[in-house]
This record gives sequence, C-alpha cells and structure tokens, in this order.
Amino acid sequence: MEIKGLVISGKFGEIIIREKAGEKIELGELLIAENKTSKILLQVYDLLFGSQISQSNLELISGMRLEENTSMKFMDKNLRNYNLAMLKNILTLTKNNSYSSKSLPDFFSKVREVTKKDLKFITKPKNPVYIGNLRSGSKTLDVKIYLPSAKVFSHHVSLTAATGRGKSNLASVLLWDMIKKNHTGILVLDPHDEYYGRHSLGLKDHPNKKNLIYYSSNNPPAGTRTLKINIKSIRPGHFNGVYEFSTAQKEAINSYYRRFKENWVEAVIKERDLGVNFHEGTISVIKRRLLSLLDLDFFDEKIYYKGVFDKNSGETTIKDICNELESGRVVVVDTSNFPGAQELLIGSLITTQVFHRYKHYKNKGDLLEKPVISILLEEAPRVLGKEVLESGPNIFSTIAREGRKFRVGLCAITQLPSLIPRQILANINTKIIMGIEMSAERQAIIDSAAQDLSSDSRAIASLDKGEAIITSNFTKFAMPVKIPLFSEYVKKDIEKKNKENLNFSGIKF
Amino acid sequence: MKFAHIADCHVGGWRDPKLKNLTIDAFDKAIDQSIEKQVDFILISGDLFNSSIPDVSLLKRVVKKLKHVNKKQIPVYIIAGSHDFSPSGKTMLDVLEEAGLCINVVKGEVVENKLRLKFTVDEKTGAKITGMIGKKGMLEKKFYENLDTKNLEQEAGFKIFMFHSALTELKPKELEKMDSSPVSYLPKGFNYYAGGHVHIVKDVSLEGYKNIVYPGPVFPNNFSELEKLEKGGFFFYEDGKTSFNPIQVKNVFSLRINANNKTPEQINQEIIDEIKNKEFIDTIVLLRILGKLETGKTTDIDFKRIYSMLYNKSAFFVMKNTYSLKTKEFDDIKIMHSEIDEIEDTLIDEQANGENIESWDLKKEKSMIRQLMTSFNLDKKEGEKVYEYQERILKEAAKLLDIEL
Repeated sequence: MEIKGLVISGKFGEIIIREKAGEKIELGELLIAENKTSKILLQVYDLLFGSQISQSNLELISGMRLEENTSMKFMDKNLRNYNLAMLKNILTLTKNNSYSSKSLPDFFSKVREVTKKDLKFITKPKNPVYIGNLRSGSKTLDVKIYLPSAKVFSHHVSLTAATGRGKSNLASVLLWDMIKKNHTGILVLDPHDEYYGRHSLGLKDHPNKKNLIYYSSNNPPAGTRTLKINIKSIRPGHFNGVYEFSTAQKEAINSYYRRFKENWVEAVIKERDLGVNFHEGTISVIKRRLLSLLDLDFFDEKIYYKGVFDKNSGETTIKDICNELESGRVVVVDTSNFPGAQELLIGSLITTQVFHRYKHYKNKGDLLEKPVISILLEEAPRVLGKEVLESGPNIFSTIAREGRKFRVGLCAITQLPSLIPRQILANINTKIIMGIEMSAERQAIIDSAAQDLSSDSRAIASLDKGEAIITSNFTKFAMPVKIPLFSEYVKKDIEKKNKENLNFSGIKF
Repeated sequence: MKFAHIADCHVGGWRDPKLKNLTIDAFDKAIDQSIEKQVDFILISGDLFNSSIPDVSLLKRVVKKLKHVNKKQIPVYIIAGSHDFSPSGKTMLDVLEEAGLCINVVKGEVVENKLRLKFTVDEKTGAKITGMIGKKGMLEKKFYENLDTKNLEQEAGFKIFMFHSALTELKPKELEKMDSSPVSYLPKGFNYYAGGHVHIVKDVSLEGYKNIVYPGPVFPNNFSELEKLEKGGFFFYEDGKTSFNPIQVKNVFSLRINANNKTPEQINQEIIDEIKNKEFIDTIVLLRILGKLETGKTTDIDFKRIYSMLYNKSAFFVMKNTYSLKTKEFDDIKIMHSEIDEIEDTLIDEQANGENIESWDLKKEKSMIRQLMTSFNLDKKEGEKVYEYQERILKEAAKLLDIEL
C-alpha cells in the first residue's frame, strides 16, 4: 500500500502529517491511518510548507537564485523541504463497524490512500437515490454514494452552488435516477425549462418515460400536457407569501371568497355585489391586479382567459399532478413562460394541494403507504427568503417547518443560502454543497450543516465543477462526491432502451 | 360547410328494454334533425353501438336510419369507439361500411415505424377527415405515441380530426380518475376536433387546437348521467360556428333524499310528499337516497308503494339508487379492490376473527372459509341431476369440516 505520509503532530481534529516526497496530497483527500486494531479515516483540510531550514536562510537562498542566478541546492532536498497536511478525524473503522473518531492515530503512524475495501461501511440503503461517486481530493473512487430517498427527501435537501458549478447537472442526474426508481414523487417547478430537454438531451429521453409527466403552456411537445389550471381552483390562501395584497385588499378577497366560493375571481372581476362595503378603490385595485396576475382580459362584461388560467379546461390539473406524485412520478412544470409572481402562484396552488392531501392521509392513518413527495424549487430564496417571510409564512415555509411529519419535503436550489432564515436552513437536513466563492454564503451553509464543516471553508471554495460535499444526518460523514456528467450518466440507460414491436390493430391499412 | 357531430349513441346500452329503446330513439332524432338542417355530412365519433356485435333488432333500426340518410346523399363518417371496437376485427361497423352505409375514416399505413393516417375527402365539401379509434383502457395511447403528426399538420384545406379518447386537460372534476391522454397527442392546426368517449358537453379551443368538441351522448347512459345531463344532444357546425343541439326523448325528474338520522318511514313520507301533487307523464323518475338511516334497513323503505304511485301517475320509468345508503345495523365494509378474488380476500380478512368456531384459530378460520367457498363454487356436471349435485357439494363440505352427514 502506497504510503503518503506520517503523523507527526497536532491535536484531535487538527492532525499534522508530513507528506512523503513524490506524493501529492490534495485538499479534501481521504486518507487512512492504521493502528493495531483499527483504522482512522482522515480528511485533508489544509496544506502548508514545512522546512528544516530557518526562514531567514530560505529567504537568502531564494534571493541568491533570483538575483545571482546561482543554482545552489540543498543536500537531501527531500529531507529538508517538504509539505505538511492538516487532517481532521472522520471515522474510526474496525473490522465490522464504523463510528465517530474519538482518538488520535498513533504518533508516527503511516498514512496511506483510502481504498474501496476501507469504505465497505458505505452501503446502499433501501429506496436509494444516487448522487455520485465518492471523491478523494480530485480523484473519483469506485464507490457509489446512495442516500436513503424517503428520509432524505422528507427532511429537505438543498443544492447550493455558484453559477456554472453544476447545479442543473446534479438535479438532472437526481431526477433521472428518480424516474428510473419510481419510489419518490418529485415536483419540479422549472423556471428555465431546462430539465425536460425539449431541444437537447434531457429527461424526455428516459427509457421509463411513463414516470415523467411534463406540463408546459408553451407549445407542449406530443405526449406532454398543456398547462391549464381552472380559475375555480384558486383560493385566497394561495397568494400568501407569493403575492402581496394589503390588509384591506385581503379582507375584500376573503369576503368575496366567502360569498361566491369557487367563483370568487369572476365575482371580483365583474364587481358583483358583495353586500359588504369596501372602498371602491380597493376592489378596483384587486380587480386590476388579478387581471394582470392571472393573464385575463375583461371587456363588454366578458372575461377572456388568455393564459394558463382558464374557465373551460384544467379542472383536474392540480389533482392530476397530485395523483402522479403519489404514484412516485416526477412531474416537471415548465414555468419559463410566466412572470415570477404567476410562477410562484402556480407553485403555491400545487404545493398547497399536495400538502393538504398528505395531512389528510396522516389523519386517516394512510400516510405511510404513500411515497415521499419532494418539491424542487429553483432560486429558493424567492419563497424562502428572509424578506419574503417577513410579510408572513407561505406554503413553502410551512413545508420547510413541518413537512417532514407529513412526508413532504423541499429540495431547495440556490446560490444564496444566506438569504434563507437560519431556522429554515437548519431544518434542511441534507445539504449538497458545490463550489461557492462568496464566504458569506459558505458560512451560512457551514453554520447549518449536519456535520462539523468549520474547517472546510477552503475546501468548499475550491470545489471544481461537478464536485460536491454532502452533509446530511443520513450519511456517516460529510461526503465528498463527484457528480457524473448527465450526458455520460444517461448514455447506458438510453442504449439499453428496447425497441417496441408495434401493433396497429384496428387501423385499416 | 355544415355538418353534424354525434358521439356515444351507445345503442343497446341500457339493460331494461324500455330504456334500451330510448337510445335508438335518440339516435333517430339526431339523424332526423341533421337531415332537417340539411347538413353536408354527419360525423359519429365512436360508440355508435354499446358492443361490437349489437342485438339484431337494434341493428335493424340503425341500418334503416342509415339507409334513410344515405338516400338523402348525406355521407356518415365514423370511427370505432371503446365499446364498438373489436380487437378481433369482428365489429358490426365493418358490416355497415361494407354495405356502403358509412365510411370509417381511420385508415393509414406504417411508414418508418410510424403510423401515418390518411384523409378521407368529403366529395361535396372537400373537407378532409381522419381520426383515431378508441380502445378500452386507453390502449389507443400507443397509437398516438407513434402517430406521424407532421403529414397531417402539413395538409392544406379544411381538416377534421375524429377521436374517441378523454383529453387530460379537458376532463371534468368528477372524471378525475378516468384514463386520459394529453391534447398534445392530437395533430395541430385542424379546423375541428370531433371528440367522443367522455360524456360531457364541451366546446373548447386551446392554442393550436381550434374547436375541440365533445357533444356528450345522444341519450344519457346511466343513472348519474340522467341526473346530471337529463338529456343528450349533438353539435352542429356551420361556417365556423358551433352550436349544441339537445335531444329530448323523455322528461327526467330527479329526487335526492338525504337519509341521515331518518327512519325508513320518514323517507317513505318524504318521497310521497314530493310526488303526490305532481304528474309524471312520459317522465323518467330518478330516486337517489343517500346517507345513514337512523333505524331499520334499506329494504324497509317501501319502494313498491312509491313505484306504484309513480306509475299510476304515468311515469315512463322509475329507477332508484341506494348505493350510498347505509344503515346503522350493519358496519360498513371498506372494499378498495376490483378483482373478485381480492374482494373475497378483503371480506374474509375483515370478518374472520378466530373466535367463530371454538377449535379454530384465526389462520384456520380464514383457510377454511376459503376452502369452503371454493367447494361451494363447483359447477354442476353435465348430466348430473340437481339432487346429485347438491349431495356432492354437501359431501365436499362435510369432508372439509370433518363431520358426518
């Protein structure tokens, strides 16, 4: 076994090893220090130079090389100058067990590369979701990392990264895997229409396409659904936290709902008599805002439905989506065509129904028979941000707080986790961290991580494209992973796709 | 251009002969009104018959009517629906087409593993008509998945697409669980989409799809439909405008009684109070009683007397629905399965408690119930006398129970 270094000093959590000459220890690398009865899994969190020569002599020699062009060399260079690595304890591994480290490795113990055999404690859970392969520094190991889907998704997941670090790639890999396995319902609100793959490789190419339901209002491809939501599905509560109305406007809206029930939107627009006095201006503002938000026109006492909200179609859309999710399918809703508020309103409508259904199942005692449902939210601070939540909770913050009791979770994608309140971040049990340059954002994630990442700020900043760290209550340690490239990952599945024998019985040829 | 769009006639659809005849009466009316309106052609979007091989007497009446319309030189274009389609190809629609009484527009070829549908051109108007069959359990979905829509969309002219499927985006709330396909499976840019299968009246346009029309049945097909629709109907299309044309074959009177906390006597009285001052000439009367009776059984409601009163008041037909009527004397049994075996298993699991027979535990009780049910299910053998059959069944049961007869 290749020796990479020797333990020379430090303290618990800050073990210093000297790197063997010719070896290249990397930030984030996993190493093993072997004792007589056990092994300790260590991880590099910092690198520094070490030398037997004093600083003033090093400076003198470098000056001579630079200014005098001399080629003065040290004798036994490898012995005098070297690299040091700072390591933290991860786990103690015995023959049949693994547990949090509570002891130091032996002084001068040899430190070597981690092998697949050392990692046999990483097993495949029930109803797994594949995230990527374990990574040691920049090296990808032949160890697949699966998370227990039901636990992970019901206890919320966050995907945090700066632009271009592979968030969408990871989400695509994750969704592809979920479509294959069909044990977790995932609702994807897709503001960039990037997952289905209308014009390029995407989820549409999945061999189990029946487990993918795609809704779009923009020229939906054959076999996908036109996003139409019946206007009668809208309730005043759906606007909470996604569209702001003043207190007076809210009161008027609630009065309309009480009086006209599911026909309340039409009643507002037609300014039907409410029997209660509200300021004329208040009703006019609500009417104007509803017309704009719901993409309606009103003239000659007639309402014209121009967009996704309709009177004659979409009566079962929300229920259909819930049913598909309950069947463990992935439902992608293309919201790229809508302005922000409309997109969030649609998300709120669906999510509210999902949550209420699952609450109902819990009351009936049927909840455990249902698959976990996760709601994938892009740019999560739009609904979970501190500013938004100052004006009151919304369905997404409610799910963040209490969703896990009802097997409904969030999968929040963001570049700016610091905008999400600490309590909500702390409720997100699994965090998949990709490269983040901004230290405030790194800190927000580190402060709320399931494992101690206090020494990993630098490692997080240096994560390359496709590299991630998973911190979760459901992993034994904060796992460094390499997420496969979506196009590479799906290749095998697509090649395996069987060609169907078509039979057009009943058609006259 | 003027045409009629009919669907879901379900000729022969009701079990009772009186109601069965109403389906054909409604069909006759739809054709007569179309002739009267001088339409250029008639579309029937599936389920003309309730089965692929209908009763001869009903078939005779349909043939007579089609011959009549044929004489008027009004072509009838049809597609097979989930009821009158036959996977073996044995459907009466083929016979009607062979006899020149209608034209099945679902014709095509397979090109590069894709189904390429062909248009049937209406000689008089030049309208180009094509369509897709409907199959049970939405099996036509596979056809749509492999449909070459490009050639259909590129064709110029006035185009009609006939289909017999539920469309996901247009399903009404009460049919939430119905199998359906998205609208996007239909080729875009047609002038009229003549739908069938879903018994609703709907005329909707969506982006890329103008005039998606469901005319509903010509006569309601079951108790709930009668309650909801009361009458059937069909659509007329005339130079870009669509209109629904209702068909009234009988009057319908619905009475809904909430039985919660009431006795059978109170319900009797409530119904009698509702009907005593009314006449029911040529009327179908629907009685739906739902809820949980305070005392007594559902059979304690005196339907005989009520029926007699209604028929004396010239009602055409009286029907009751007590599906959602419960009584406190029996516990509800929840059944979520559709297969007979599963229903039996559920009932056994719910009712067996291991305490019914002293020497049997729960496992044995369940096993014995299943075995007894199997032995009671034995068929009478050919040539076997009834008493011999009874004796054989008894012996089988005695053997199982280990008792002497």
